[in-house]
Amino acid sequence: MATLLRGALRPLRAFPGSGRLAADVPLRATSHGAGILYPEHIPTSPLQKALLAAGSAVMALYDPYRHDMVAVLGETTGRRTLKFLRDQMKRDPEGAQILRERPRISTSTLDLGKLRSLPEGSFGCEYLRFLDVNRVSPDTRAPTRFVDDEELAYVIQRYREVHDMAHTLLGMPINIPGEIVVKWFEAVQTGLPMCILSALFGPIRLSARSLQVLVSELVPWAVQNGRRAPCLLNLYYERRWEQPLGALRQELGITEPPVRVEGLV
Amino acid sequence: MAAPRSWALWSLCGRGLSRVMPGCTIPGLRSSWPRSPLGARPLSQEKRATETHFGFETVSEEEKGGKVYQVFESVAKKYDVMNDMMSLGIHRVWKDLLLWKMHPFPGTQLLDVAGGTGLDWVLGDAEELPFDDDKFDVYTIAFGIRNVTHIDRALQEAHRVLKPGGRFLCLEFSQVNNPLVSRLYDVYSFQVIPVLGEIIAGDWKSYQYLVESIRQFPPQEEFKEMIEDAGFQKVTYENLTSGIVAIHSGFKL
Repeated sequence: MATLLRGALRPLRAFPGSGRLAADVPLRATSHGAGILYPEHIPTSPLQKALLAAGSAVMALYDPYRHDMVAVLGETTGRRTLKFLRDQMKRDPEGAQILRERPRISTSTLDLGKLRSLPEGSFGCEYLRFLDVNRVSPDTRAPTRFVDDEELAYVIQRYREVHDMAHTLLGMPINIPGEIVVKWFEAVQTGLPMCILSALFGPIRLSARSLQVLVSELVPWAVQNGRRAPCLLNLYYERRWEQPLGALRQELGITEPPVRVEGLV
Repeated sequence: MAAPRSWALWSLCGRGLSRVMPGCTIPGLRSSWPRSPLGARPLSQEKRATETHFGFETVSEEEKGGKVYQVFESVAKKYDVMNDMMSLGIHRVWKDLLLWKMHPFPGTQLLDVAGGTGLDWVLGDAEELPFDDDKFDVYTIAFGIRNVTHIDRALQEAHRVLKPGGRFLCLEFSQVNNPLVSRLYDVYSFQVIPVLGEIIAGDWKSYQYLVESIRQFPPQEEFKEMIEDAGFQKVTYENLTSGIVAIHSGFKL
């Protein structure tokens, strides 16, 4: 079920000139055609990246439901970390295969019928249940836009698409405490600045009780599991649907959560 | 299929006047006139294979109307917030100056094209207005004409629907006349505006289109000539904020 995703170079368009453009062309030469490395790519200057990083951080805090802002923050702050992640994927046999084949997770690439027919307790079945219960779809992941390297763009896209796998493996719902726990896990696993920032600042809006449970039990558990488990980016999930979730967790060294998260706000 | 060419939402103020802010949402078709119904004018089905600009992209003329429509659909919700953020509220001053220049009084038949909310509104095409000739005292268009596919046709239509003695007023982004201001304005336009669009409205591309379309619009003198070509006389313009915007004025005599 491997789907090939190759960063397609858009054919370079002739730069349209109307003859009345002023001497400010360098700032906008990359907006169309020139420098576009993959379909959704928007080339940005260092200043724009800095502004985007700062703005998206503020906006994500102000309105936690702006998931697109979290995505933008990840893309604009993650370059060095993404390189590191890509390199460690190359060193791992399963990770290297993922980089070569570039599987994507979306409703068009997943065989949902087949997943539904899988036995109870299998990873695929539990993943589907997670999607159904939380009423999310793998298609809600925004495409990468601000990463100026098409392989790294895939790496962050893959990270985003396997985020739901992390939820399933950790047994975390998609409410705010659940997301924070997953972010702590991912922060330890990937070192992405966006994960670290979300992990540190996400709890700001929580009630004191939730914060207490988070700090005393859930975060230490997440950190421990994050350290123990191999990098989740190196798992070819599409080949593991039939594997029982329990066995997969054991393979990765992921234990049951110490507390139920559903009741927290 | 009739491709929408230059859809513009406008309002007709029959009696007195209302300040019209171009907060465009495109609602359904509805019109209630304080006066007798105006003759309906069917849209023509002309199509051309020529190309034009959409910001810095090249698109077919047919496509442009649809693409502009999509931009405004996309920005509609956060339109006023974004205008305030991008111009730090200065767009309100520009619009105030336009109204001041107009010196309207009760009874003025005003047509504001690409106008947004108003008393009575009609959905239509700036290049083919559904109004009879010689109808209005004043025709205004603020930050709208830049998005029209065939500006010359919009100007001709403006001329047609104005009464003799009527005035055409256009408030639009133009070319900056000061080199320092120009440089700062360019940096602000291309570095900051699309970022603001992304952060506030989650929409980089529409705001990239905005700043590019400003650069594609004719400078003050050239636009003045276009207005004269449409039959207007005593055409003048006034720069505001170093030419970031300009108000062009002409009369149908």
